[in-house]
Amino acid sequence: MSFAWKAAGISYLKYTQICARAVRNALKEEQRLIAQRRDEQGLKFAKWESGKQGELKPIDSAMGNVSV
Amino acid sequence: MEIARTFGSTQTALFTNADTKPTEEGTTLIITVSSDRGLCGGIHSSVSKASRKHVQEKPNSQVVVLGDKAKAQLSRTIRNNIRLSFNQIGKATPTYTEACAIADTILNEKIEFDQAIIVYNYFKSVISYEADTIPVFSESTFSKSGNFDAYEVEDDVLENLHEFALANSIYWGLAEGHASEMASKRSAMENATKNAGEMIDKLTLTYNRGRQAVITSELIDIITGASAI
Repeated sequence: MSFAWKAAGISYLKYTQICARAVRNALKEEQRLIAQRRDEQGLKFAKWESGKQGELKPIDSAMGNVSV
Repeated sequence: MEIARTFGSTQTALFTNADTKPTEEGTTLIITVSSDRGLCGGIHSSVSKASRKHVQEKPNSQVVVLGDKAKAQLSRTIRNNIRLSFNQIGKATPTYTEACAIADTILNEKIEFDQAIIVYNYFKSVISYEADTIPVFSESTFSKSGNFDAYEVEDDVLENLHEFALANSIYWGLAEGHASEMASKRSAMENATKNAGEMIDKLTLTYNRGRQAVITSELIDIITGASAI
């Protein structure tokens, strides 16, 4: 069975995150505020080539980070 | 952390029951879970030492480092094995969102591996932790498992399982690492306070003795001076 989101180029993890975000946004005000705190992440990553660190880039949670 | 442990251990139970074993020539990815902040005792060195040991066993493994402290330690010895490093880790209790973001980044970078080993500090108790590993196997390694036929799986789902396994295990490693780090920080702080307190007491005694000795010698001078008159 092929998945529609797979054909659209979204990974399974991205798919579950998007669904989770939709569920969180659907909650009532109070619970939503608590839940949305779980949705934040401010991680940064850097690629390393042969022992040298590249520049730090934040992870874009909406688009995922396509390797450029 | 308890919840993460339950999720994580059911995950590894799947691999154990399927009797998944990595091949000898398989490539390994080592994910070192640490954090950015210091003052937590031997947390970072414990994880770095374990990662270095794994790299010694398999010199062409690739390493992904989570946390600046471990990155500093590992870049001294195994620079050339590092592929990715993350920071801003450990500021707050880890969320599954963070683990997913990390797993997604690793997969997007197209780092190929047959087996991923997540090196983290297992929380044994409030005063002790130990470096431990969680294995995550790729789809091809998993489909060659001994007991694979006991499970009914459709092929497309294997890739999803692989992604979920990676994110789940990273989350478990992050949660336990965070718990171990907090406990270690607390005991390190307590020890530091206790040592500082002891030092203050000892030095206060020495100071008072010195002061009294000076006063005593001055008194002696005055008295001998007075009795000479």
